[in-house]
Amino acid sequence: MRRGNWRMAEPVPFRARGFVARERGWAAAVTLLAVLAVWQIGAELRWFSVAFLSTPAAIARALWHLVISGELGRDLGASLGRLLGGWLGGTLAGLVAGLAIGLFSTLRNPGMAVVSALFPIPKIALVPLFIIWFGIGEGSKLVTVGFGVFFPMAISTIAAVDAVPRNLIRMGQSFGLSQAAVVWRIVLPGALPALLSAMRITAATAIILLVAAEMIGAENGIGAFVLRAGNLYDIDALMAGIAVLSLIGLAAARLIGLAERALLKWR
Amino acid sequence: MRLHRRLVLAGLAGFAVPARAEEPIRLGLLRTLSPAPLYLAQERGYFAAEGAPVVFRFFEAAQPIAAAAVSGDIDVGITALTGGFFALAGKGTLKVIGGGLHEQKGFDLTAVLVSRKAYDAGLTSLEKLGGHSFGITQFGSSFHYMIGRLAEAKGFELKSMSLRPLQQIGNMLAAVRSGQVDATMAIASQAKPAAASGEAVIIGWVGDHVPYQITALFAATPMIAKREAALRGLARAYQRGVADYRAAFLAPVKGPATAAAIADITKYVFTGDPAAAQKITEGIGWYDEGGALDVADVKAQLAWFQAQDMVKGPIDPAEIIDTRFLPTR
Repeated sequence: MRRGNWRMAEPVPFRARGFVARERGWAAAVTLLAVLAVWQIGAELRWFSVAFLSTPAAIARALWHLVISGELGRDLGASLGRLLGGWLGGTLAGLVAGLAIGLFSTLRNPGMAVVSALFPIPKIALVPLFIIWFGIGEGSKLVTVGFGVFFPMAISTIAAVDAVPRNLIRMGQSFGLSQAAVVWRIVLPGALPALLSAMRITAATAIILLVAAEMIGAENGIGAFVLRAGNLYDIDALMAGIAVLSLIGLAAARLIGLAERALLKWR
Repeated sequence: MRLHRRLVLAGLAGFAVPARAEEPIRLGLLRTLSPAPLYLAQERGYFAAEGAPVVFRFFEAAQPIAAAAVSGDIDVGITALTGGFFALAGKGTLKVIGGGLHEQKGFDLTAVLVSRKAYDAGLTSLEKLGGHSFGITQFGSSFHYMIGRLAEAKGFELKSMSLRPLQQIGNMLAAVRSGQVDATMAIASQAKPAAASGEAVIIGWVGDHVPYQITALFAATPMIAKREAALRGLARAYQRGVADYRAAFLAPVKGPATAAAIADITKYVFTGDPAAAQKITEGIGWYDEGGALDVADVKAQLAWFQAQDMVKGPIDPAEIIDTRFLPTR
Protein backbone atom coordinates (compact mmCIF):
# COMPACT_ATOMS: atom_id res chain seq x y z
CA MET A 1 0.00 0.00 0.00
CA ARG A 2 1.31 3.39 -0.83
CA ARG A 3 1.05 5.51 2.22
CA GLY A 4 -0.26 9.02 1.99
CA ASN A 5 -1.82 8.67 -1.41
CA TRP A 6 -5.40 7.95 -0.39
CA ARG A 7 -6.95 8.85 -3.68
CA MET A 8 -4.94 6.21 -5.50
CA ALA A 9 -5.93 3.39 -3.07
CA GLU A 10 -6.67 0.20 -4.96
CA PRO A 11 -10.12 -1.26 -4.50
CA VAL A 12 -10.07 -4.07 -1.96
CA PRO A 13 -11.50 -7.27 -3.43
CA PHE A 14 -14.42 -8.91 -1.64
CA ARG A 15 -12.80 -11.64 0.39
CA ALA A 16 -15.66 -13.01 2.48
CA ARG A 17 -16.25 -15.92 0.14
CA GLY A 18 -16.58 -19.55 0.96
CA PHE A 19 -17.47 -21.16 4.27
CA VAL A 20 -21.12 -20.43 3.54
CA ALA A 21 -23.21 -23.58 3.31
CA ARG A 22 -25.09 -23.44 0.05
CA GLU A 23 -27.65 -26.12 -0.74
CA ARG A 24 -27.12 -28.09 -3.90
CA GLY A 25 -29.87 -30.70 -3.70
CA TRP A 26 -28.99 -32.29 -7.03
CA ALA A 27 -25.47 -33.09 -5.77
CA ALA A 28 -26.89 -35.30 -3.02
CA ALA A 29 -28.97 -37.25 -5.53
CA VAL A 30 -26.09 -37.51 -8.01
CA THR A 31 -23.75 -38.85 -5.30
CA LEU A 32 -26.19 -41.59 -4.28
CA LEU A 33 -26.87 -42.51 -7.91
CA ALA A 34 -23.13 -42.62 -8.68
CA VAL A 35 -22.52 -44.98 -5.75
CA LEU A 36 -25.32 -47.25 -7.02
CA ALA A 37 -23.93 -47.09 -10.57
CA VAL A 38 -20.40 -48.02 -9.49
CA TRP A 39 -21.83 -50.86 -7.41
CA GLN A 40 -23.87 -52.21 -10.32
CA ILE A 41 -21.05 -51.85 -12.87
CA GLY A 42 -18.60 -53.47 -10.47
CA ALA A 43 -20.92 -56.44 -10.14
CA GLU A 44 -21.45 -56.70 -13.92
CA LEU A 45 -17.69 -56.64 -14.50
CA ARG A 46 -17.17 -59.24 -11.74
CA TRP A 47 -14.93 -56.99 -9.65
CA PHE A 48 -16.38 -58.80 -6.64
CA SER A 49 -18.53 -61.88 -6.08
CA VAL A 50 -22.25 -61.17 -6.12
CA ALA A 51 -23.00 -64.39 -4.20
CA PHE A 52 -23.10 -62.54 -0.88
CA LEU A 53 -23.34 -58.92 -2.02
CA SER A 54 -26.41 -58.15 -4.04
CA THR A 55 -26.58 -55.65 -6.85
CA PRO A 56 -28.83 -52.57 -6.95
CA ALA A 57 -30.75 -54.14 -9.83
CA ALA A 58 -31.32 -57.38 -7.90
CA ILE A 59 -32.40 -55.43 -4.82
CA ALA A 60 -34.80 -53.36 -6.91
CA ARG A 61 -36.19 -56.59 -8.38
CA ALA A 62 -36.66 -58.07 -4.91
CA LEU A 63 -38.34 -54.86 -3.78
CA TRP A 64 -40.65 -54.87 -6.78
CA HIS A 65 -41.53 -58.51 -6.12
CA LEU A 66 -42.44 -57.58 -2.53
CA VAL A 67 -44.57 -54.67 -3.70
CA ILE A 68 -46.65 -56.62 -6.19
CA SER A 69 -47.08 -59.63 -3.89
CA GLY A 70 -48.50 -57.28 -1.25
CA GLU A 71 -45.98 -58.53 1.30
CA LEU A 72 -44.30 -55.14 1.58
CA GLY A 73 -47.62 -53.39 2.15
CA ARG A 74 -48.51 -55.76 5.00
CA ASP A 75 -45.12 -55.51 6.69
CA LEU A 76 -44.82 -51.78 6.16
CA GLY A 77 -48.34 -51.18 7.48
CA ALA A 78 -47.65 -53.17 10.64
CA SER A 79 -44.29 -51.47 11.19
CA LEU A 80 -45.52 -47.93 10.55
CA GLY A 81 -48.39 -48.44 12.98
CA ARG A 82 -45.99 -49.59 15.71
CA LEU A 83 -43.52 -46.87 14.87
CA LEU A 84 -46.07 -44.09 14.92
CA GLY A 85 -47.87 -45.35 18.03
CA GLY A 86 -44.70 -46.01 20.00
CA TRP A 87 -42.97 -42.84 18.90
CA LEU A 88 -45.96 -40.57 19.51
CA GLY A 89 -46.63 -42.09 22.91
CA GLY A 90 -42.99 -41.96 23.99
CA THR A 91 -42.46 -38.47 22.62
CA LEU A 92 -45.57 -36.99 24.23
CA ALA A 93 -44.84 -38.66 27.56
CA GLY A 94 -41.21 -37.50 27.38
CA LEU A 95 -42.32 -33.99 26.52
CA VAL A 96 -44.74 -33.80 29.42
CA ALA A 97 -42.29 -35.34 31.88
CA GLY A 98 -39.43 -33.14 30.64
CA LEU A 99 -41.51 -29.96 30.91
CA ALA A 100 -42.68 -30.89 34.38
CA ILE A 101 -39.13 -31.62 35.53
CA GLY A 102 -37.77 -28.54 33.80
CA LEU A 103 -40.38 -26.15 35.14
CA PHE A 104 -41.00 -27.29 38.70
CA SER A 105 -38.17 -27.29 41.19
CA THR A 106 -39.94 -29.83 43.41
CA LEU A 107 -39.85 -32.37 40.60
CA ARG A 108 -36.38 -31.56 39.31
CA ASN A 109 -34.16 -33.71 41.50
CA PRO A 110 -36.49 -36.68 41.99
CA GLY A 111 -37.39 -36.67 38.29
CA MET A 112 -33.81 -36.36 37.11
CA ALA A 113 -32.79 -39.20 39.43
CA VAL A 114 -35.32 -41.57 37.88
CA VAL A 115 -34.66 -40.49 34.29
CA SER A 116 -30.88 -40.63 34.68
CA ALA A 117 -31.06 -44.06 36.28
CA LEU A 118 -33.22 -45.58 33.54
CA PHE A 119 -31.85 -43.75 30.48
CA PRO A 120 -28.61 -45.74 30.04
CA ILE A 121 -30.33 -49.16 30.11
CA PRO A 122 -30.11 -50.71 26.64
CA LYS A 123 -33.79 -51.02 25.83
CA ILE A 124 -33.10 -53.96 23.52
CA ALA A 125 -32.13 -55.98 26.59
CA LEU A 126 -35.61 -55.39 27.98
CA VAL A 127 -37.47 -56.86 24.98
CA PRO A 128 -37.80 -60.38 26.48
CA LEU A 129 -39.04 -58.84 29.74
CA PHE A 130 -41.56 -56.66 27.91
CA ILE A 131 -42.86 -59.74 26.13
CA ILE A 132 -43.65 -61.36 29.48
CA TRP A 133 -45.20 -58.16 30.88
CA PHE A 134 -47.12 -56.91 27.88
CA GLY A 135 -47.64 -60.04 25.81
CA ILE A 136 -46.12 -61.23 22.58
CA GLY A 137 -48.46 -59.13 20.44
CA GLU A 138 -48.50 -55.40 19.76
CA GLY A 139 -48.20 -54.35 23.41
CA SER A 140 -44.57 -55.29 23.92
CA LYS A 141 -43.54 -53.69 20.61
CA LEU A 142 -45.27 -50.38 21.31
CA VAL A 143 -43.79 -50.28 24.79
CA THR A 144 -40.27 -51.06 23.55
CA VAL A 145 -40.37 -48.22 21.04
CA GLY A 146 -42.14 -45.82 23.39
CA PHE A 147 -39.86 -46.56 26.34
CA GLY A 148 -36.76 -46.05 24.21
CA VAL A 149 -38.03 -42.73 22.84
CA PHE A 150 -39.22 -41.41 26.21
CA PHE A 151 -35.83 -40.92 27.86
CA PRO A 152 -33.90 -39.01 25.19
CA MET A 153 -37.02 -36.88 24.67
CA ALA A 154 -37.38 -36.12 28.38
CA ILE A 155 -33.71 -35.27 28.78
CA SER A 156 -33.69 -33.05 25.69
CA THR A 157 -36.83 -31.27 26.91
CA ILE A 158 -35.29 -30.54 30.30
CA ALA A 159 -32.15 -29.17 28.62
CA ALA A 160 -34.23 -27.15 26.12
CA VAL A 161 -36.26 -25.56 28.92
CA ASP A 162 -33.06 -24.75 30.80
CA ALA A 163 -31.57 -23.15 27.71
CA VAL A 164 -34.37 -20.60 27.23
CA PRO A 165 -32.70 -17.21 27.91
CA ARG A 166 -33.39 -16.14 31.49
CA ASN A 167 -33.56 -12.46 30.58
CA LEU A 168 -36.53 -13.13 28.30
CA ILE A 169 -38.36 -14.86 31.12
CA ARG A 170 -37.48 -12.03 33.54
CA MET A 171 -38.69 -9.51 30.98
CA GLY A 172 -42.03 -11.30 30.67
CA GLN A 173 -42.34 -11.41 34.43
CA SER A 174 -41.51 -7.67 34.64
CA PHE A 175 -44.31 -6.94 32.22
CA GLY A 176 -46.65 -8.78 34.57
CA LEU A 177 -47.25 -11.95 32.49
CA SER A 178 -48.86 -14.79 34.40
CA GLN A 179 -46.90 -17.99 35.08
CA ALA A 180 -48.92 -19.83 32.42
CA ALA A 181 -48.36 -17.09 29.87
CA VAL A 182 -44.59 -17.16 30.49
CA VAL A 183 -44.58 -20.89 29.79
CA TRP A 184 -46.84 -20.68 26.75
CA ARG A 185 -45.44 -17.52 25.16
CA ILE A 186 -41.75 -17.63 26.10
CA VAL A 187 -40.55 -21.01 27.38
CA LEU A 188 -42.25 -23.26 24.82
CA PRO A 189 -41.39 -21.21 21.72
CA GLY A 190 -37.86 -20.78 23.04
CA ALA A 191 -37.46 -24.52 23.57
CA LEU A 192 -39.14 -25.54 20.32
CA PRO A 193 -36.04 -25.62 18.03
CA ALA A 194 -34.21 -27.90 20.47
CA LEU A 195 -37.33 -30.07 20.88
CA LEU A 196 -37.64 -30.55 17.13
CA SER A 197 -34.01 -31.55 16.73
CA ALA A 198 -34.49 -33.98 19.64
CA MET A 199 -37.35 -35.50 17.66
CA ARG A 200 -35.03 -36.12 14.72
CA ILE A 201 -32.88 -38.23 17.01
CA THR A 202 -35.77 -40.03 18.69
CA ALA A 203 -37.22 -40.91 15.27
CA ALA A 204 -34.00 -42.76 14.43
CA THR A 205 -33.99 -44.39 17.87
CA ALA A 206 -37.57 -45.51 17.29
CA ILE A 207 -36.65 -47.24 14.02
CA ILE A 208 -33.75 -49.11 15.66
CA LEU A 209 -35.96 -50.28 18.52
CA LEU A 210 -38.79 -51.19 16.18
CA VAL A 211 -36.52 -53.61 14.35
CA ALA A 212 -35.26 -55.02 17.65
CA ALA A 213 -38.81 -55.47 18.95
CA GLU A 214 -39.94 -57.15 15.74
CA MET A 215 -37.06 -59.58 15.89
CA ILE A 216 -38.67 -61.58 18.68
CA GLY A 217 -42.00 -63.21 18.15
CA ALA A 218 -43.30 -60.95 15.39
CA GLU A 219 -45.10 -62.48 12.45
CA ASN A 220 -44.99 -59.37 10.30
CA GLY A 221 -43.23 -56.04 10.10
CA ILE A 222 -40.08 -54.89 8.35
CA GLY A 223 -37.90 -56.02 11.26
CA ALA A 224 -39.36 -59.53 11.12
CA PHE A 225 -38.96 -59.49 7.35
CA VAL A 226 -35.28 -58.52 7.55
CA LEU A 227 -34.64 -61.14 10.19
CA ARG A 228 -36.42 -63.81 8.16
CA ALA A 229 -34.43 -62.93 5.04
CA GLY A 230 -31.25 -63.02 7.10
CA ASN A 231 -32.08 -66.41 8.57
CA LEU A 232 -32.64 -67.79 5.08
CA TYR A 233 -29.57 -65.99 3.64
CA ASP A 234 -31.83 -64.43 1.05
CA ILE A 235 -29.40 -61.58 0.40
CA ASP A 236 -31.52 -59.70 -2.15
CA ALA A 237 -34.56 -59.62 0.13
CA LEU A 238 -32.39 -58.74 3.14
CA MET A 239 -30.95 -55.71 1.38
CA ALA A 240 -34.37 -54.73 0.04
CA GLY A 241 -35.63 -54.70 3.64
CA ILE A 242 -32.66 -52.58 4.73
CA ALA A 243 -33.39 -50.15 1.88
CA VAL A 244 -36.98 -49.86 3.10
CA LEU A 245 -35.75 -49.11 6.65
CA SER A 246 -33.46 -46.43 5.25
CA LEU A 247 -36.39 -44.93 3.32
CA ILE A 248 -38.53 -44.89 6.48
CA GLY A 249 -35.73 -43.00 8.23
CA LEU A 250 -35.41 -40.51 5.37
CA ALA A 251 -39.17 -39.97 5.30
CA ALA A 252 -39.28 -39.37 9.06
CA ALA A 253 -36.43 -36.84 8.83
CA ARG A 254 -38.19 -35.11 5.95
CA LEU A 255 -41.46 -34.86 7.90
CA ILE A 256 -39.70 -33.35 10.89
CA GLY A 257 -37.91 -30.95 8.54
CA LEU A 258 -41.28 -29.82 7.21
CA ALA A 259 -42.57 -29.42 10.77
CA GLU A 260 -39.52 -27.31 11.60
CA ARG A 261 -40.17 -25.07 8.64
CA ALA A 262 -43.82 -24.62 9.56
CA LEU A 263 -43.38 -24.19 13.31
CA LEU A 264 -40.23 -22.09 13.30
CA LYS A 265 -41.33 -19.56 10.70
CA TRP A 266 -41.11 -16.81 13.32
CA ARG A 267 -37.33 -17.11 13.52
CA MET B 1 5.14 -47.51 3.90
CA ARG B 2 7.74 -50.07 2.96
CA LEU B 3 7.23 -51.88 6.23
CA HIS B 4 3.52 -51.88 5.55
CA ARG B 5 3.96 -53.38 2.10
CA ARG B 6 6.26 -56.02 3.48
CA LEU B 7 3.68 -56.95 6.07
CA VAL B 8 1.03 -57.31 3.41
CA LEU B 9 3.30 -59.50 1.30
CA ALA B 10 4.11 -61.64 4.31
CA GLY B 11 0.41 -61.98 4.99
CA LEU B 12 -0.31 -63.05 1.41
CA ALA B 13 2.50 -65.59 1.55
CA GLY B 14 0.99 -66.97 4.73
CA PHE B 15 -2.32 -67.51 2.97
CA ALA B 16 -0.66 -69.09 -0.03
CA VAL B 17 1.04 -71.86 1.94
CA PRO B 18 -0.84 -75.05 1.01
CA ALA B 19 -2.66 -76.70 3.86
CA ARG B 20 -0.78 -79.69 5.17
CA ALA B 21 -2.57 -82.90 6.02
CA GLU B 22 -1.70 -82.76 9.71
CA GLU B 23 -3.23 -79.31 10.08
CA PRO B 24 -6.30 -79.90 12.25
CA ILE B 25 -9.72 -79.81 10.59
CA ARG B 26 -12.04 -77.31 12.26
CA LEU B 27 -15.40 -78.98 12.88
CA GLY B 28 -18.43 -76.89 13.83
CA LEU B 29 -21.13 -78.45 16.02
CA LEU B 30 -23.68 -77.75 18.73
CA ARG B 31 -22.89 -78.65 22.32
CA THR B 32 -25.77 -81.10 22.53
CA LEU B 33 -26.11 -84.83 22.68
CA SER B 34 -26.91 -85.09 18.96
CA PRO B 35 -23.30 -85.24 17.63
CA ALA B 36 -22.32 -87.88 20.24
CA PRO B 37 -20.51 -90.20 17.74
CA LEU B 38 -18.10 -87.33 17.06
CA TYR B 39 -17.38 -86.98 20.78
CA LEU B 40 -16.56 -90.69 20.89
CA ALA B 41 -14.31 -90.46 17.81
CA GLN B 42 -12.45 -87.53 19.34
CA GLU B 43 -12.06 -88.99 22.83
CA ARG B 44 -10.88 -92.33 21.44
CA GLY B 45 -8.35 -90.74 19.12
CA TYR B 46 -9.90 -91.99 15.86
CA PHE B 47 -9.45 -88.69 14.03
CA ALA B 48 -5.74 -88.51 14.83
CA ALA B 49 -5.30 -92.21 14.00
CA GLU B 50 -6.89 -91.70 10.57
CA GLY B 51 -4.58 -88.79 9.78
CA ALA B 52 -7.30 -86.20 10.19
CA PRO B 53 -6.89 -84.45 13.55
CA VAL B 54 -9.99 -82.44 14.42
CA VAL B 55 -10.61 -79.45 16.66
CA PHE B 56 -14.20 -78.79 17.75
CA ARG B 57 -15.70 -75.34 17.36
CA PHE B 58 -18.93 -75.10 19.35
CA PHE B 59 -21.87 -72.95 18.25
CA GLU B 60 -25.14 -71.81 19.83
CA ALA B 61 -27.45 -72.42 16.87
CA ALA B 62 -27.55 -74.41 13.64
CA GLN B 63 -27.58 -71.62 11.06
CA PRO B 64 -24.35 -69.91 12.21
CA ILE B 65 -22.50 -73.21 11.66
CA ALA B 66 -23.32 -73.07 7.95
CA ALA B 67 -22.42 -69.39 7.79
CA ALA B 68 -19.09 -70.04 9.54
CA ALA B 69 -18.23 -72.70 6.97
CA VAL B 70 -18.93 -70.22 4.17
CA SER B 71 -16.82 -67.52 5.80
CA GLY B 72 -13.94 -69.98 6.22
CA ASP B 73 -14.00 -70.17 10.02
CA ILE B 74 -14.67 -73.90 10.01
CA ASP B 75 -13.99 -76.63 7.43
CA VAL B 76 -16.60 -79.23 8.32
CA GLY B 77 -19.82 -79.12 10.30
CA ILE B 78 -22.63 -81.29 11.56
CA THR B 79 -26.00 -79.65 11.93
CA ALA B 80 -29.63 -79.56 10.88
CA LEU B 81 -30.18 -78.75 7.21
CA THR B 82 -32.00 -75.44 7.58
CA GLY B 83 -33.42 -73.14 4.93
CA GLY B 84 -30.36 -70.95 5.41
CA PHE B 85 -28.10 -73.96 4.88
CA PHE B 86 -29.70 -74.77 1.53
CA ALA B 87 -29.52 -71.14 0.42
CA LEU B 88 -25.78 -71.07 1.17
CA ALA B 89 -25.16 -74.52 -0.31
CA GLY B 90 -27.07 -73.44 -3.43
CA LYS B 91 -24.35 -70.86 -4.04
CA GLY B 92 -21.83 -73.68 -4.34
CA THR B 93 -20.15 -73.13 -0.98
CA LEU B 94 -21.23 -76.20 1.02
CA LYS B 95 -21.78 -79.88 0.29
CA VAL B 96 -23.58 -82.52 2.36
CA ILE B 97 -21.24 -85.51 2.73
CA GLY B 98 -22.81 -87.79 5.34
CA GLY B 99 -25.78 -88.58 7.52
CA GLY B 100 -26.31 -87.73 11.18
CA LEU B 101 -29.06 -88.03 13.72
CA HIS B 102 -32.49 -89.28 12.66
CA GLU B 103 -35.97 -88.71 14.00
CA GLN B 104 -37.12 -92.32 14.14
CA LYS B 105 -40.20 -94.09 15.40
CA GLY B 106 -39.70 -95.24 18.97
CA PHE B 107 -37.01 -92.72 19.83
CA ASP B 108 -38.39 -89.87 21.91
CA LEU B 109 -36.19 -87.08 20.60
CA THR B 110 -38.39 -84.07 19.88
CA ALA B 111 -41.72 -83.57 21.65
CA VAL B 112 -44.63 -81.38 20.63
CA LEU B 113 -45.29 -79.38 23.77
CA VAL B 114 -48.61 -77.61 24.37
CA SER B 115 -49.30 -74.98 27.01
CA ARG B 116 -51.60 -76.01 29.84
CA LYS B 117 -54.07 -73.28 28.87
CA ALA B 118 -54.26 -74.43 25.23
CA TYR B 119 -54.49 -78.09 26.29
CA ASP B 120 -57.39 -77.38 28.61
CA ALA B 121 -59.05 -75.40 25.81
CA GLY B 122 -58.98 -78.49 23.60
CA LEU B 123 -55.57 -78.66 21.89
CA THR B 124 -55.10 -82.29 22.84
CA SER B 125 -53.79 -83.88 19.66
CA LEU B 126 -51.49 -83.09 16.76
CA GLU B 127 -54.40 -82.92 14.30
CA LYS B 128 -55.78 -79.88 16.15
CA LEU B 129 -52.63 -77.76 15.84
CA GLY B 130 -54.06 -75.80 12.89
CA GLY B 131 -54.93 -72.20 13.74
CA HIS B 132 -52.78 -72.14 16.87
CA SER B 133 -49.67 -70.09 17.64
CA PHE B 134 -46.42 -72.04 17.54
CA GLY B 135 -42.97 -71.03 18.79
CA ILE B 136 -39.94 -71.75 16.61
CA THR B 137 -36.36 -70.51 16.81
CA GLN B 138 -36.08 -68.98 13.36
CA PHE B 139 -37.76 -69.12 9.99
CA GLY B 140 -36.25 -71.99 8.03
CA SER B 141 -35.07 -73.77 11.20
CA SER B 142 -35.50 -77.50 11.81
CA PHE B 143 -38.51 -76.66 14.02
CA HIS B 144 -40.11 -74.82 11.14
CA TYR B 145 -39.46 -77.84 8.91
CA MET B 146 -40.82 -80.33 11.44
CA ILE B 147 -44.08 -78.46 12.03
CA GLY B 148 -44.46 -78.16 8.25
CA ARG B 149 -44.07 -81.92 7.81
CA LEU B 150 -46.40 -82.59 10.74
CA ALA B 151 -48.99 -80.35 9.07
CA GLU B 152 -48.75 -82.46 5.90
CA ALA B 153 -48.91 -85.74 7.84
CA LYS B 154 -51.77 -84.73 10.14
CA GLY B 155 -53.82 -82.78 7.63
CA PHE B 156 -53.82 -79.27 9.07
CA GLU B 157 -52.79 -76.09 7.27
CA LEU B 158 -49.36 -74.69 8.15
CA LYS B 159 -50.53 -71.34 6.78
CA SER B 160 -53.34 -71.24 9.34
CA MET B 161 -50.82 -71.32 12.20
CA SER B 162 -49.12 -68.22 13.48
CA LEU B 163 -45.43 -69.07 13.69
CA ARG B 164 -43.51 -67.07 16.28
CA PRO B 165 -39.75 -66.82 15.74
CA LEU B 166 -38.34 -66.60 19.28
CA GLN B 167 -34.64 -66.91 18.40
CA GLN B 168 -33.64 -69.19 21.26
CA ILE B 169 -34.72 -72.57 22.54
CA GLY B 170 -34.96 -71.09 26.03
CA ASN B 171 -37.46 -68.49 24.78
CA MET B 172 -39.55 -71.23 23.16
CA LEU B 173 -39.80 -73.15 26.42
CA ALA B 174 -40.55 -70.02 28.43
CA ALA B 175 -43.23 -68.93 25.94
CA VAL B 176 -45.09 -72.23 26.07
CA ARG B 177 -44.80 -72.58 29.85
CA SER B 178 -46.19 -69.07 30.38
CA GLY B 179 -48.89 -69.55 27.73
CA GLN B 180 -47.55 -66.84 25.38
CA VAL B 181 -47.70 -69.39 22.58
CA ASP B 182 -50.05 -72.37 22.37
CA ALA B 183 -47.43 -74.91 21.32
CA THR B 184 -43.78 -75.47 20.49
CA MET B 185 -41.24 -78.31 20.20
CA ALA B 186 -38.59 -79.33 22.69
CA ILE B 187 -36.10 -82.15 23.09
CA ALA B 188 -36.89 -84.82 25.64
CA SER B 189 -34.56 -83.56 28.38
CA GLN B 190 -36.38 -80.20 28.34
CA ALA B 191 -39.90 -81.31 27.43
CA LYS B 192 -40.22 -83.91 30.20
CA PRO B 193 -39.50 -81.51 33.10
CA ALA B 194 -41.89 -78.94 31.59
CA ALA B 195 -44.60 -81.61 31.38
CA ALA B 196 -43.82 -82.84 34.90
CA SER B 197 -44.30 -79.33 36.27
CA GLY B 198 -47.85 -79.29 34.88
CA GLU B 199 -47.31 -76.07 32.92
CA ALA B 200 -47.19 -77.88 29.59
CA VAL B 201 -48.36 -81.14 28.07
CA ILE B 202 -46.61 -83.43 25.58
CA ILE B 203 -49.12 -84.34 22.85
CA GLY B 204 -46.80 -86.33 20.60
CA TRP B 205 -43.29 -87.10 19.42
CA VAL B 206 -42.09 -85.93 16.02
CA GLY B 207 -40.26 -89.16 15.19
CA ASP B 208 -43.42 -91.24 15.57
CA HIS B 209 -45.17 -89.26 12.83
CA VAL B 210 -42.57 -87.76 10.50
CA PRO B 211 -39.31 -89.71 10.74
CA TYR B 212 -36.49 -87.92 8.92
CA GLN B 213 -32.79 -87.23 8.97
CA ILE B 214 -32.38 -84.19 11.26
CA THR B 215 -28.66 -83.56 11.03
CA ALA B 216 -26.06 -84.18 8.38
CA LEU B 217 -22.31 -83.90 8.05
CA PHE B 218 -21.22 -81.26 5.55
CA ALA B 219 -17.99 -79.76 4.29
CA ALA B 220 -17.05 -76.41 2.85
CA THR B 221 -16.24 -76.65 -0.86
CA PRO B 222 -12.56 -75.56 -0.46
CA MET B 223 -12.07 -78.36 2.08
CA ILE B 224 -13.31 -80.94 -0.44
CA ALA B 225 -11.24 -79.44 -3.24
CA LYS B 226 -7.95 -79.00 -1.41
CA ARG B 227 -7.88 -81.56 1.39
CA GLU B 228 -9.76 -84.55 0.05
CA ALA B 229 -7.41 -87.08 1.70
CA ALA B 230 -7.86 -85.49 5.13
CA LEU B 231 -11.62 -85.43 4.63
CA ARG B 232 -11.57 -89.14 3.78
CA GLY B 233 -9.68 -89.73 7.04
CA LEU B 234 -12.29 -87.72 8.92
CA ALA B 235 -15.06 -89.79 7.30
CA ARG B 236 -13.37 -93.06 8.36
CA ALA B 237 -12.96 -91.81 11.94
CA TYR B 238 -16.59 -90.68 11.95
CA GLN B 239 -17.69 -94.16 10.88
CA ARG B 240 -15.72 -95.69 13.75
CA GLY B 241 -17.41 -93.24 16.14
CA VAL B 242 -20.82 -94.15 14.76
CA ALA B 243 -20.02 -97.88 15.10
CA ASP B 244 -19.09 -97.37 18.77
CA TYR B 245 -22.21 -95.29 19.34
CA ARG B 246 -24.46 -97.93 17.80
CA ALA B 247 -22.79 -100.69 19.83
CA ALA B 248 -23.19 -98.69 23.02
CA PHE B 249 -26.72 -97.37 22.63
CA LEU B 250 -28.60 -98.95 19.73
CA ALA B 251 -27.72 -102.61 20.40
CA PRO B 252 -30.42 -104.58 22.25
CA VAL B 253 -28.10 -105.29 25.19
CA LYS B 254 -26.56 -102.50 27.23
CA GLY B 255 -23.22 -103.45 28.73
CA PRO B 256 -19.84 -102.07 29.65
CA ALA B 257 -19.60 -100.40 26.22
CA THR B 258 -22.57 -98.23 27.19
CA ALA B 259 -20.95 -97.07 30.43
CA ALA B 260 -17.67 -96.33 28.64
CA ALA B 261 -19.46 -94.29 25.96
CA ILE B 262 -21.38 -92.34 28.60
CA ALA B 263 -18.12 -91.54 30.36
CA ASP B 264 -16.67 -90.16 27.11
CA ILE B 265 -19.80 -88.21 26.18
CA THR B 266 -20.05 -86.52 29.58
CA LYS B 267 -16.75 -84.80 28.82
CA TYR B 268 -18.79 -82.65 26.38
CA VAL B 269 -22.41 -82.58 27.61
CA PHE B 270 -24.06 -82.98 31.02
CA THR B 271 -20.59 -82.55 32.54
CA GLY B 272 -20.78 -83.00 36.30
CA ASP B 273 -24.51 -83.72 36.17
CA PRO B 274 -25.30 -86.59 38.58
CA ALA B 275 -28.20 -87.69 36.34
CA ALA B 276 -26.02 -87.59 33.18
CA ALA B 277 -26.18 -91.33 32.48
CA GLN B 278 -29.98 -91.35 32.61
CA LYS B 279 -30.30 -88.19 30.49
CA ILE B 280 -27.97 -89.60 27.85
CA THR B 281 -29.66 -93.00 27.58
CA GLU B 282 -33.11 -91.36 27.46
CA GLY B 283 -32.07 -88.78 24.89
CA ILE B 284 -30.24 -91.09 22.52
CA GLY B 285 -31.33 -91.04 18.86
CA TRP B 286 -30.88 -93.13 15.79
CA TYR B 287 -27.73 -93.10 13.62
CA ASP B 288 -27.59 -95.17 10.45
CA GLU B 289 -24.82 -97.72 10.13
CA GLY B 290 -21.63 -96.16 8.80
CA GLY B 291 -23.00 -92.62 9.12
CA ALA B 292 -24.94 -93.25 5.92
CA LEU B 293 -26.53 -90.30 4.19
CA ASP B 294 -30.23 -90.47 3.38
CA VAL B 295 -29.97 -88.79 -0.01
CA ALA B 296 -33.68 -89.03 -0.78
CA ASP B 297 -34.48 -87.30 2.51
CA VAL B 298 -32.05 -84.43 1.81
CA LYS B 299 -33.75 -83.99 -1.56
CA ALA B 300 -37.17 -84.03 0.11
CA GLN B 301 -36.07 -81.37 2.62
CA LEU B 302 -34.70 -79.15 -0.14
CA ALA B 303 -37.92 -79.58 -2.12
CA TRP B 304 -40.00 -78.58 0.92
CA PHE B 305 -38.01 -75.39 1.54
CA GLN B 306 -38.29 -74.54 -2.16
CA ALA B 307 -42.03 -75.21 -2.18
CA GLN B 308 -42.37 -72.85 0.80
CA ASP B 309 -40.44 -70.21 -1.19
CA MET B 310 -37.86 -70.08 1.60
CA VAL B 311 -35.08 -71.27 -0.69
CA LYS B 312 -35.21 -69.39 -3.95
CA GLY B 313 -33.98 -70.22 -7.41
CA PRO B 314 -33.31 -73.62 -8.91
CA ILE B 315 -30.84 -75.75 -6.95
CA ASP B 316 -29.70 -79.09 -8.35
CA PRO B 317 -29.58 -81.53 -5.40
CA ALA B 318 -26.64 -83.28 -7.06
CA GLU B 319 -24.66 -80.03 -6.76
CA ILE B 320 -25.02 -79.84 -2.99
CA ILE B 321 -24.46 -83.51 -2.14
CA ASP B 322 -21.14 -85.36 -2.38
CA THR B 323 -21.46 -89.10 -1.79
CA ARG B 324 -17.80 -90.01 -2.31
CA PHE B 325 -16.93 -89.94 1.38
CA LEU B 326 -19.62 -91.90 3.23
CA PRO B 327 -22.17 -94.58 2.33
CA THR B 328 -25.74 -93.72 1.41
CA ARG B 329 -28.94 -95.19 2.74
